[in-house]
Amino acid sequence: MLTPWEIKKKEYLPPLLMIKMNLLGMLSLVKILLLNLGAIRVAKNQEKKNIYIRPKPTYKIPDYEQGMKYCKSDEKYLRPTLYCNCQAPEIIALANQLGAYKKSEYEFAQAAFEFAKRKIILEFVPLDGVVETLRRGTGTCLHKISIFIALCRAAGIQARYKFFALTMLDEWAQPALNNAPLMKKWYDVMGFFLLHGEGEIYVDGKWIPGDVGAEPERQASVWLPVTKLGEDSIGIWLFPIPGTIIQRESIPLGLRLPSKVLMNRLVPNSVAGLNNGIIEQIEKGKKIIKEAGGEKAYDLLARQKRAKSMSMPKASLVEKSDKIIFEE
Amino acid sequence: MIDFDAYIKKFDSLVTKYIPPKEQWTPSDYATYGPQDLYRVPEKKANELCFEAIKYQFKRHYENNKIYHKFCDTQNFSIDKIKNYVDLEKIPLIPDKFYKDYPTGRDFALWLSNIITGELPTIKISGKNPSFDDVINDFNASGMVVAYSSGTSGKHTFIPRDLRTFNVAEYLGAKVVLTMAYPIWEYDMYGFLLMPNPFKTNVFAGKVCTIYFDVIKDVKVAIDREIDTETIRLSMLGGRGIKTTLASIAIKRMYSKIVNNIIKWLEQNEKQGNKIAFAGAPFLLYSVMNKLEKDGKTFNFSNRGAILTGGGWKIHEDIRVSVNDFRKKVESILGIKPEHCLDLYGMVEGNGWMTHCPEGHYLHVPHSYYHAMVFDDELKPIGYGKFGRFAFLDGSTYSYPGFIISGDRVKLLEHCPVCDRPGPVLEPEIKRAPGEETRGCAEEMRKMLATDLGR
Repeated sequence: MLTPWEIKKKEYLPPLLMIKMNLLGMLSLVKILLLNLGAIRVAKNQEKKNIYIRPKPTYKIPDYEQGMKYCKSDEKYLRPTLYCNCQAPEIIALANQLGAYKKSEYEFAQAAFEFAKRKIILEFVPLDGVVETLRRGTGTCLHKISIFIALCRAAGIQARYKFFALTMLDEWAQPALNNAPLMKKWYDVMGFFLLHGEGEIYVDGKWIPGDVGAEPERQASVWLPVTKLGEDSIGIWLFPIPGTIIQRESIPLGLRLPSKVLMNRLVPNSVAGLNNGIIEQIEKGKKIIKEAGGEKAYDLLARQKRAKSMSMPKASLVEKSDKIIFEE
Repeated sequence: MIDFDAYIKKFDSLVTKYIPPKEQWTPSDYATYGPQDLYRVPEKKANELCFEAIKYQFKRHYENNKIYHKFCDTQNFSIDKIKNYVDLEKIPLIPDKFYKDYPTGRDFALWLSNIITGELPTIKISGKNPSFDDVINDFNASGMVVAYSSGTSGKHTFIPRDLRTFNVAEYLGAKVVLTMAYPIWEYDMYGFLLMPNPFKTNVFAGKVCTIYFDVIKDVKVAIDREIDTETIRLSMLGGRGIKTTLASIAIKRMYSKIVNNIIKWLEQNEKQGNKIAFAGAPFLLYSVMNKLEKDGKTFNFSNRGAILTGGGWKIHEDIRVSVNDFRKKVESILGIKPEHCLDLYGMVEGNGWMTHCPEGHYLHVPHSYYHAMVFDDELKPIGYGKFGRFAFLDGSTYSYPGFIISGDRVKLLEHCPVCDRPGPVLEPEIKRAPGEETRGCAEEMRKMLATDLGR
C-alpha cells in the first residue's frame, strides 16, 4: 500500500503538465471514438481481425541464487519505484548475469542498455512491472526503460526516467500506424504523441541518456543509426514538444488504468494492428541489415549518410555584438 | 486587352517603394527587378543574370558573414572556386534546420545578430528574459524584418531579412503572380487575403503580403488580429490549458464568422459586377465553398475572378485535397476558370516564388535569380526528372546566405511539359521529404483555426 509520503518522495504524482496533456489526449480520443462508432462496430464485426502473435523471448531468465549481490539502498534513483522493482529476484539474477559488480559501471550500463534495447521487443501492452515484462519479452518504451533502469539500480547505478510529448519522423511512426486507422486518426488530430521516455544513468558525475525503445532492426528499417548508450533519440527520430521534457525517479501513477482500458477494451484491434506493424518493421530492418553486410557495416553506412545530411554551419551563441544593447 | 509591357509598368508604378533607385542596382537587382517577365527570360540570358547575382551574393556572405565563412572553410570552398555557371552547384548549402536551432531569451538576440550578413543597426533589447516576439519586435523596430514559419512540432524557423531583402521578397512575390495571372489583374479590383493581417503578424507568409494592399484598391483580410509566435506554437500543438481552450473557443467562433464574411463579400461583389482576387490558404476557401455547396449557392465570376493559393493542401487533419479537385470545385461553385486559379510555392528561407502556369499548372522557377536543384538521400545532385530533396541558391538575399537545402520533396523538370516558357519547373504539389516534419503557412493558419478536434 502506497503511503502519501512514499508518493511524494518517489515522485509518483504526475506533474500538472502531464495531467493536462493526458486529459486532452483522452478527450480527443473519446471524441474520435464517438465520431467513429460505425467504424468501431465494423471493426468488431469484421471477420478478419488483426491477429498479433507475440514473438517468444530469445533469452532465459537466470535463476536467482541466495547471496547474489545487489543494491539495497533506499536513496533516490537507486530504490524500487512504481513498475520498476530493482530488487526483484529475476532482476537481480539478470543483473548479475550481465556483469553487475564485475564490470565497470559504464560497461555494465552498456550491457543493461543493449539487453533492454535488443531483447525486449516493442509491443503495445498495458503498463505492468519489470518482472512481467521480462517474462513476456515485450513491452512499450516505458516497459523497456523500466528494465534498463531496474538493472542499473540493482547494480548500484543511479537511474531515472525522462518523459516528453513528441512528434516523430513520419516514416518511423507511419508503418505501425497504417495498420491502426483509429490510432492514426488520433495521432493526426493531436498532431503529436502524448508520451515517450528515455532512461538516464548517473555515471562519472553526469547523467547519460539511453533510449532503449528502438530495436536495431526497427532503426534499420528507416536507415537510422543503431543508437548506443549515451546517444539521445532526441533530434534523430524523436522531436520533443518544447517545454514538455521532465525527469523523474518513477513512472507516475495513473497511467496503468487508461492504458488497460484503451488497449484491452476500446481499440484492441487497432493495438494488434500497431503491434503487427512493429513486427513488419523489424522484418524489413533485418533485410536491410543483411543486405548492408551485417549490423556493423549497416551502422557505419547509416552514420555516414546521416553525417552528410547533418553538415551544418555552427552558430556561436555566446559571441557578443556591440550592436545589440540589452536594457534592464 | 492591355499589353504585357503596359501591365507590368502599371504594376511597377504602384510599387516604387519596393524598388531601389536604378543607380544603386547590384547584379542581384538586375536579376530580380530587371526582367519584365521573370518566367520568360531566355535561358542563356537567365543563366548569365543568375550566375552574376549568386556569385555577387556568395562573395558578400563569404566576406561578411563569419559563420558562413567558417562553414565554407570547413568545406574547402571559396569565391575563387566559382568560375562558371556549373560551379554554382558546388556552393555550400545550409540545411534549413540551421534556422531552427537557436537559444532562448537574450541569447536568441545574439544568435540572430550572429547569423546576419553585414552591418547590423543598433538594436535595443528590453527585458531580462525577452520572448521570441519581444526580440523580433525589437529587431524590426530597428529596421530589420525578422519573420518566421513553423512546423508541426511548434518549433519556428526564424529568418533575419533586412528591409532590402524583404522588399525584394514582396516585390518578386507580387510580380510573379501578376505575371502568371496576366491580364486579369487591375488595381481597381477587390481583394480578399485568406491570411492574417500582414500588419499584425511576423509570420512570413502573412507579412510578405503587405504589397497586396499596394497593388489592389480594396483588400479585406480573413484574420484581423495579432498573431505571434505563442499563438502559432500553441495552435500547432493543439489545445492545452485554460488560456488555449478559451482562445480556441474564440477562434472557432471567428472561423465561422470568417466563412460568412467571405460569402457576404462574394455576394456583394457579384451584385456590383466587381473583379475579385483571393490570395492565401486554400483550406479557408474550401470551407467557404463547402458552405455554399451545402446552401445550394453558386456564383459566376468567370473572367472577373482570380485565386492564388499557397502553403499546402491539407484541408482537415487527415484530408488533403488535390489541386485539381480544388480547381474543379472553384469552377463549379465560384465560376472562376481553372486558368485563373493558381498556386504559389515559396518558403520563409528564400525569396524564390514558384508559380503555376495557367496552361499546365506546373510550378515555374524564376530562373534569372534563383537556381533550383534536387538532391538524393546522400545529398548528391540528381538533376531533372527524379524525386528528391529541394535545394536552391537564391541570388536575391542580402542579409543572410540564401543557399539552402530544404526538407521538401520535389521533382524538377528542365522545361514545362505544357507551356512554352523557358526555364525549369517543379511538378505541382510539393510534399515533405522523409524525415521532415510537416509545415506550410496554410497548415499554420489551418491549425490555428481548426479547433474542432477530430472533424
